[in-house]
Amino acid sequence: MNWNLIPQFFVSGITNGSIYALIALGFCLIQNATGIVNFAQGDFVMLGAMIAISLHQVAHVPLPLALMIGILGTALVGIALQQGPVRHSRNRDILTLVMITIGASISFRGAAMLVWGKSSRILPPIGGDAPLFFLEAAIMPQTLWILAVSLMVLGLLYVFFHRTLLGKAMRAAADNPFGAALIGISVRRLVALAFALSGALGALAGILITPITSMSYEGGLMLGLKGFAGAILGGYGSTVGAVAGGLLLGILESFGAGFISSSYKDAIAFIVLLGILFLRPAGLFGSVRVRRL
Amino acid sequence: MAVSGYEGFNLTARTYQNAKDICHLPLLPAQWKALLALIGLLALIPVILPNDYFLLFFNVMALNALVVLGLNLLIGSTGQVSLGHAAFFGIGAYVSAIAGTTWQWPIFYSFLFALASVGLIGCLLALPTLRLEGHYLVMATLGFNIIVDILLNQMDDITGGPSGFPGIPQLSMGRLTIDSDLKFYIFIWTLFVVVFALTLNLTDSRMGRALKAIHEKELTAETLGIPCHRYKVAVFVLSALYAGLAGFCYAHYVTFISPKTFDIFYSVQVVTMVVVGGMGSLWGGLAGTMLLTSLPELLHQFEDWYVLSYGLILMGVLVFSPQGLVSALASLSRLRRAGPTQWQADGQAHGKPAAPASAKLRKKRRLAREVSPRGPKPEPLLRLVDVSVSFGGLQALNQVGMEVAAGEIVALIGPNGAGKTTVLNIICGLLKPDSGKVWIQGTPLVGSMPHRIAARGVGRTFQTVQIYQGFSVLENALLGSHISGHAGFLQACLHLPKERSEEAQLRARTGQLLEAFNLGGKADYPVQRLTLLEQKLLELARALALSPSVLLLDEPVGGLNPRESAVLVKHIEELRERGMGTILVEHDMNVVMRLADRVVVLQHGARIASGIPREVQRDPKVIAAYLGTRKAGEPPAGKQ
Repeated sequence: MNWNLIPQFFVSGITNGSIYALIALGFCLIQNATGIVNFAQGDFVMLGAMIAISLHQVAHVPLPLALMIGILGTALVGIALQQGPVRHSRNRDILTLVMITIGASISFRGAAMLVWGKSSRILPPIGGDAPLFFLEAAIMPQTLWILAVSLMVLGLLYVFFHRTLLGKAMRAAADNPFGAALIGISVRRLVALAFALSGALGALAGILITPITSMSYEGGLMLGLKGFAGAILGGYGSTVGAVAGGLLLGILESFGAGFISSSYKDAIAFIVLLGILFLRPAGLFGSVRVRRL
Repeated sequence: MAVSGYEGFNLTARTYQNAKDICHLPLLPAQWKALLALIGLLALIPVILPNDYFLLFFNVMALNALVVLGLNLLIGSTGQVSLGHAAFFGIGAYVSAIAGTTWQWPIFYSFLFALASVGLIGCLLALPTLRLEGHYLVMATLGFNIIVDILLNQMDDITGGPSGFPGIPQLSMGRLTIDSDLKFYIFIWTLFVVVFALTLNLTDSRMGRALKAIHEKELTAETLGIPCHRYKVAVFVLSALYAGLAGFCYAHYVTFISPKTFDIFYSVQVVTMVVVGGMGSLWGGLAGTMLLTSLPELLHQFEDWYVLSYGLILMGVLVFSPQGLVSALASLSRLRRAGPTQWQADGQAHGKPAAPASAKLRKKRRLAREVSPRGPKPEPLLRLVDVSVSFGGLQALNQVGMEVAAGEIVALIGPNGAGKTTVLNIICGLLKPDSGKVWIQGTPLVGSMPHRIAARGVGRTFQTVQIYQGFSVLENALLGSHISGHAGFLQACLHLPKERSEEAQLRARTGQLLEAFNLGGKADYPVQRLTLLEQKLLELARALALSPSVLLLDEPVGGLNPRESAVLVKHIEELRERGMGTILVEHDMNVVMRLADRVVVLQHGARIASGIPREVQRDPKVIAAYLGTRKAGEPPAGKQ
């Protein structure tokens, strides 16, 4: 065991953790707006990255523009998922809706395999690949970008939900859709907005992580599940919890991989997921829901 | 049959019919004819298609069908989906392969060991996850599947890693070895048909009814004495065992296994088969399996399209035909054959004249179980002491105490939000108080699960009627009799004669109960056809089927017109005659004044008055709570 690797573990934990936090926030938005677990969240991550990669490498669109289009395009996919299958489902039962998102996830993955093939693709890192050194930890400029962008997005989301009328309407609709509808809020449009935001958050996460880990048609599954594990860890449905849970999961995973075995790195997130479901299902920041008739 | 035990009842033709409706064939399911047709079809296949390729295809289909059957049982009874059945399939296969090959165990022991491992792991996974509300099971099982996948790939010294596990011995029993596709075909389909028949039996039993009820309304099922969590875990384990069994058979059939077979995509495939067939429909699941197992064969030159086509089929079926493609087709053809007038015919039955009132009363008295003598000072049946509970910052109940004696109706009144329903929820265990005690006949109740409290003799009805929409009138009432039955899962699966006669008895008894509430003629109706009064009577009958000593009635006459309300009031009065202790939450003061022996008044979670109705009516605090305070000097004659 190598103690001077600890700063390095911490840096990579925070990096992955920020990505999980963004994905967890996407889960959280749709959960609050509709009460469903969106299994396609991970595929938003994959789609955003893959769209940006194609635009940049095949169509030679400048990188910043390609990234923007990747994010917006995935937001549109999110809206399409909501306006199409989710809204038109004959059965409004939550289980059916959740399973529709499973179907959507598989469809996205299948379509991505047809379009992009099975090989992994990569984006050039922003700010080059010469590492900076801090406390014996090598820090890639991309890592700093990930942290900066994630922080900025969190700040913007906070302002949106607490300082703008639209954001407050979304919180109201999440709290009580019926009451919100009675005071003239178009809940349906807000639900579409939640899907769009989730899509955009997912795509952003995908774009940020791709230069480090690369992306393939099935890369979204694992990232999506880890985002979900982060959301559960923090307390499902809580935005603060999603961010904290995502970061914590990233750090746990990084230290677990470093100290135990890197071949079981992916299993750690799910052991944490099962552990938290067993021990404290409300998560770190959530509250236990009271069952009612 | 078996009705003779309840002498003295002149059963109408209708209820007798109900007792006869059940299938009395031991071991065989009610749909034995369809099962026979299936066996015939399966027997024909090797004759028509005597080619190893087709046999392999049908063998794979049987394995899928086994996994789908288990999954269907789970979805049908808990309403939750598992995305981890590929992992159970894999554990069954790998454990048996390792035991049988690496350790050289005899095949029977590796079989037992494989199933025991699957069952144990399934139980460990289900125990905590199924306690949670919401759809955590999907995620937990998905995470579990990924962990198993990673373990199978990484532990290569035991599992062979990604390159697979070769050289698994073939199945053998004595001198018979299953070494050809045809032999395996016969073996696996025989096994499937047997398991399928047992599962059909299970769904057509007291257990099956309880499981279906848990899916529709879990908390209500709990108040009817059904131990929901235990049954859900049992069903999950059972369902995992089906997958494990399939995995065992698979490993010893193909003799080579690799982790790829047991990844998430297989879990999604079997879930899609269930969805296409119709969630919860066993026959539909079989058809869905047949359909989707053929899909790759039909699409074999477009291999890359599998994933997309599975996703689109899953999504499309759920969006456009959530009851499943196969079930939708089946109901379509049934509709065409039977026509929409089917219900009209038996609608005639209910118009028969009611039995004379006195005879009816006698009938019900005989039904009563707990007739306590009206002594000078009866020990209270139910006692609440200093019960407090708060939701967040709101003190919903503050040190509330009350008592109910046998044969006494205590009305619990108070303005909206006073905490009346909360009291009922605490008594029947749906809510845990922060402090305070509840006793029934001297036994403390706080901390017990609602189903135990129901079994101790607490029956209840709900503010909004909680009857099961997917059940007939009789089946709804039968749910109340659940705790009177004793046959467990195994007996239900086997349809043992004892279990069948118990079922007939329960039906006969419940039929009589329905008669007492004038619902006998409507026993076979879907509950949607009942009026609100009848629904409330059915809910009352169902609560009485528990043979309770205390009844909790939450606004029984709410929404009824005066004539209907009078019918219900009469029933409640008759129950008091029989010694029932009743807590009545009611807003209709005429009903309260007519029925109540004592009244307890709650306001803002605190008890502000109690006593006989006349006194409470004049209590200034009560008047203030209901009508607001008067200005000083105003004459106190305002109440009508």
